Amino acid sequence: MERAQILHIEGLSRRFGGLTAVSDLSFEIYEKEILGLIGPNGAGKSTTFNLITGVYRPHTGKLTFAGTDITGKKPAEIGRMGLVRTFQHGSILSELTVYDNILTGAYMFVRDAGARDRRVRETAELVGVSEMLGDLARNLPHGHQRLLSIGIAFASRPRLLCLDEPLTGLNGSEIGHALAVIQRIRDGFGTTVLLVDHNMHAVMRACERIVVLNFGRKLAEGTPDEVSRNPEVIQAYLGGGIT
Amino acid sequence: MHEIWGVAGLVAIALGLSLMLSDSYALKVVTWLSLNVLAAIALRFVMLVGELNIATAAFWGVGAYTAAIATVWLKLPFGVALVAGIVAPALLAVAFGFVTLRTKGPYFMLISFAFTEVLRLVYTQSDALGGNSGMIGVYPPRWLDGTYASLVVLLVGACLVGFLWLERSAFGKLMRAIENNDAVVASVGVPVLAIKIAALTIAAAAAGLGGGLFAHANRVISPGDFSFLVSVYALAYVKIGGEKHILGAVLGATFLTLLGQYVLSFGQYEHIYFGGAIVAAMLIFPEGMLGLLQRWGARLGLVRAPEPATSRGGH
Amino acid sequence: MELLAQLLANTLQIGAVYVLFALGLTLIFGVMKVVNFAHGEFFSLAALIVAASMPLLPAAFPSWLNYLVALAAAIAAVAVLGAIIYRIGFERYLRDLVGSFILSVGLILLLQGIMTEIFTASPRPVDAIVTGNVTVLGARITAQRLLIMALALLFTGLLYVVLQRTRLGKALRAASEDREAAMLQGIRYRTISLYGWLIGVSMAGLAGALMAPLSPIQPAIGADYLIKAFIIIIVGGLGSIPGAIVGGLLVAAIESVCGFYFDLTIATIFMFVLVMAFLLVRPQGLMGHVER
Repeated sequence: MERAQILHIEGLSRRFGGLTAVSDLSFEIYEKEILGLIGPNGAGKSTTFNLITGVYRPHTGKLTFAGTDITGKKPAEIGRMGLVRTFQHGSILSELTVYDNILTGAYMFVRDAGARDRRVRETAELVGVSEMLGDLARNLPHGHQRLLSIGIAFASRPRLLCLDEPLTGLNGSEIGHALAVIQRIRDGFGTTVLLVDHNMHAVMRACERIVVLNFGRKLAEGTPDEVSRNPEVIQAYLGGGIT
Repeated sequence: MHEIWGVAGLVAIALGLSLMLSDSYALKVVTWLSLNVLAAIALRFVMLVGELNIATAAFWGVGAYTAAIATVWLKLPFGVALVAGIVAPALLAVAFGFVTLRTKGPYFMLISFAFTEVLRLVYTQSDALGGNSGMIGVYPPRWLDGTYASLVVLLVGACLVGFLWLERSAFGKLMRAIENNDAVVASVGVPVLAIKIAALTIAAAAAGLGGGLFAHANRVISPGDFSFLVSVYALAYVKIGGEKHILGAVLGATFLTLLGQYVLSFGQYEHIYFGGAIVAAMLIFPEGMLGLLQRWGARLGLVRAPEPATSRGGH
Repeated sequence: MELLAQLLANTLQIGAVYVLFALGLTLIFGVMKVVNFAHGEFFSLAALIVAASMPLLPAAFPSWLNYLVALAAAIAAVAVLGAIIYRIGFERYLRDLVGSFILSVGLILLLQGIMTEIFTASPRPVDAIVTGNVTVLGARITAQRLLIMALALLFTGLLYVVLQRTRLGKALRAASEDREAAMLQGIRYRTISLYGWLIGVSMAGLAGALMAPLSPIQPAIGADYLIKAFIIIIVGGLGSIPGAIVGGLLVAAIESVCGFYFDLTIATIFMFVLVMAFLLVRPQGLMGHVER
């Protein structure tokens, strides 16, 4: 059965100076799936992420989101269309309360004050920070800060949620909790999720499909099982060292 | 909400007190003090999005010149002159913000500085605006004889309450969020540039009102009144009073204005003493008087101790 | 042709002093992330010391020797004052844009007041160090201006070599590019920022000492240079050494051409309009990189 595409990436390239960070990259993300994007260090994951979300302009290629061409659009425009991301570093508003952090995510999407309040509380409950709504974000433990960053993004109820290394620095049980939150977001709201992370086991566990990058190109694509048996993928990771 | 009503109450008390004054020197001090508060809160409002807007002085000046032109040349009613002095700098702020607010931190600070000083050069070059000697005869209407200071207190008080209300609203929280991390705010669809321009425009309108009131209080304006030092003093009020709360600006303005009145008696040494006071205050209480009061209060067990100040680094 | 040569000579001559002044400012910003609004006061102080001490030095010596002695004394005074101000004040406001701004403006008021007390506000002319005119490519320049220009170029070159070649220079550049990475390499940030500050204010002092024989000196003179220096570093990019050099020459060129046909105030206004137009196209500055 052919599933509907939510994001179509075609022939994407970006150079920095003489270095090619991403080269002729094409893949699709389908509605309501959790797609993993992995690759050794320097494979171009972050660049791909920044190209999709409008932080960088691609030199060539085309991005189609929910049937609309979003190539060259600004991050805020893309965010308003329902493609929202988190950031690898500093993805929270550290000087604001947890409540105001999530409120920021909801601001453009819920106009009514009462509805906005409900949205904030529902989101806090979902990601598991509702006990600490009044605390300054910078005073939260690291694990909760990571969950909060997902909360800010999800408060906008995006159609495609892009998570940039959300598991970095988390311990085993925290990883389990974060993955459960991601599952709940997809299952409960039908949100599509793009997950980029270093933690191979976690990505294999959470995602239905995986795209592997190496040297800015697509190396392989398929189910976790297919990808992990792919000799080229094994070679790339042995060569570059699994991080 | 309690907080906003509380501040409104303070404004009402100040207004009542100003109505009881009749000594002309005291009324003058009340006028200067209120205008200094207005400059400080206008500057502070843009600080909420993380930018140091030295052009507060420029918008103050545009408001003053516009209101003066309306009163002196066009003989328009006082109220119309004040409104013109609000609208002109607000429009200018939209254009200025559109060009410059894509830069931030030190760049915006330097550009707003240059804008202020260049605008001052423009006044000196314009014969129509009186060149270096400026404009004279900017009289307030007769019916305000004796109550002009109270009108200033009322309008500044209204701005104070309005700014506090905005700061506590969802829009104000968004401003703080932009200061904190504009990339995150943009990622959830917020048009960051538009919000920064809106903040600058609101602040410029308030500064323009201040300039118009200043022109009619002083009766004479000249380019020298609108140098970047207006913004520097405003920032000194904010910093020395404490920037965490809008009342810090009131506290700082009160302290430094009264100190300034005292220092004026030193005549030519005025600059040395005022500069010295700013430097000393920066070194002695970097968290401002509000932080100091909070620390004392915490020692007595009345309030929570202040959180350690985080420095606002360059980008 | 002769006019062109004259304008070019003029540009180089003003430009050399602007470059020195702006280099100091941009160096301080790079390392300390502090905009030193009191930069002009160091310029004024050195110029005033040169102007005030020249008449006191023995007339028997050649005046160029007296000038060099006065110049050295002025720079030494600026460096000592700079060190004191750093220790008492700026050390606590490193990387704090707002705090350091208030501190440096407080210093403007304080230093300008003190200098007016000591040196009075009336302009002081300095007698010519060397006399005579030189004709280069049809442009007539006084020998004195040529000498000052040569000195300014020499010192700019010297600073450039120090920054590019020496260990101190490398540490300074590393600290301005990435403080954390520099600290990881064992560079002591506080020590380096003190050196950056001292070199920076000395450059301002040097520019002032070089200007002293060319125009009458009074305590507020440094402030005139500040706004142009800001335009230079906005265009050149904050913290960029090549940017300050290119920007300085560019501003000097606009000023000599505009100043020749109109006047200096119009030139400054025109420069600002250009900067605004420029920002519309390139918000990150001439030499700046795109952020992120």
